[in-house]
Order: sequence, then C-alpha cells, then structure tokens
Amino acid sequence: MKIYGVLALAIFAQATGNVCLSKGMKELSSAISIFALFFQAVASPLIWVGTALLLLFFLLFAATLSWADLSFVVPAISIEVVVNVAFADYFLNELVTSVRWIGTLLISLGVILVLRTGKQSVQSDSNGAGRR
Amino acid sequence: MKSAILIAVIVFADSAGDVFLTKGMKQVDEITTLNPGILLTMAKRVVTNENFLCAIFFFAITFFSFLTVLSWADLSLVFPATSLVYVISTLGAKFILKETVTFQRWAGILLVCLGVALVSLP
Repeated sequence: MKIYGVLALAIFAQATGNVCLSKGMKELSSAISIFALFFQAVASPLIWVGTALLLLFFLLFAATLSWADLSFVVPAISIEVVVNVAFADYFLNELVTSVRWIGTLLISLGVILVLRTGKQSVQSDSNGAGRR
Repeated sequence: MKSAILIAVIVFADSAGDVFLTKGMKQVDEITTLNPGILLTMAKRVVTNENFLCAIFFFAITFFSFLTVLSWADLSLVFPATSLVYVISTLGAKFILKETVTFQRWAGILLVCLGVALVSLP
C-alpha cells in the first residue's frame, strides 16, 4: 500500500515541477541567444523549484523501482501523461482540446501495452523514469 | 517546426541516456551495505564510470532542450510528445539490440504514435 502513496507523491511532484518549469520559462523575456536564455533561467526561482521537484520525482521513482518490479509501477508511468496534461489544463490555463485529450489517453494506453510484456522487456525498459 | 526538432532532440537524447545509464549501473555492483566507507567507494566508482558520465551528459541535453521548448510551447503538447521515447527504444531494441518485440508491444507503440499525432494537431 505504501508504494501507491509514494508513487502518487512522485507523480504529483513531477506534474507540479513541470508546471513550475513551464511557467518559469514563459516568464523569461524572449532571449536573443540560447546562452542568454540559460542565464535568465538560472536566476528564476520558479525554475529552481521545478528542478528540485523533478529531482524529488526521480528519487521517489527510483526508490519504488528498488522495492517493486517494473510491471508493478507501469500503471503509474502511464497515468503520469494524463496528470501532466490535466495540470497544464488547470494551472497553466492551456487550451486542451478534446482531440488532445483523446491523444493523451491513447498514449497512456500505448505505454501500458509497451511496458506490460514479460520478463525480457523489463530489462530493456529502464526508461520512463529519467526524463524531465 | 522548431518544437518538433527540439522534441526529437529530447526523445533521442533521453533514449541514449537510458542506454548508457543501464550499461553503467550494470557495471557497478549491487548495493548491499550501508557501511559509509564502502558506499563512498561505490559512489566514486559510479561517478567515474564512463557510461554513467555519458548518461549524465545526455540527460543534461534532455533537460535543457525540455526547458527551451517550454519557453514557447504548451506543456500539454510537449509532455505527451516525449512519450515517443518508447517508440525509439522499441525500434532500438529491435534493430540495434536484435531483441524480439512482441505483437503487444508493436500495438502499444502504434497507439503512442497515434496519440502523439492527435496531441500535436493545432
């Protein structure tokens, strides 16, 4: 039961972190070069908070992977897409059309099918945890 | 178009990072003790491992590309689109590592592709 709580916390941290990053990056003045953008980003508290939350997500997720099999964690990985889009819709006021929602759900379903295959694919599927 | 290129960079760099991380972590022994001295030696072996450093390099590219694309694109587009990493790693598993890819998994990547196409409609 504990693992579900940790996974829920991990996904919450990830989606909140991504919202912070998205908000933080859009607040930057449109920079001329990628380097100028980088220095502006380093000075933004929102981006630091977002990065810290993503780091927390990564640690929590890695912890659950060390307790349980990947197949156990798969539903959580597939739900993260839906949660992130919902957060973008609610907190960033992004216009999420019904087509985009259908796309999101298809991705979620697809991820379940990709990851839920026997033992041999577990080894090659170390992905899903690392990104953003 | 600009978003598409950066999303491609994110997806490829993330897949590459995963491959190097997996290789690197398999070269380091399993952690079975809490002895600080041994943990320190292991930590040193991890951070000096070439594959691990390559993984960090690719994850850094992933993260900074993600930040850059978020400075103009919607999170509700970028985040779902990065799921294409499953498609790339499946293709990599099939054609580079010569693994057998099950029918179920092909069906999964088809759904992911379809989903990303729908998400990216204007």
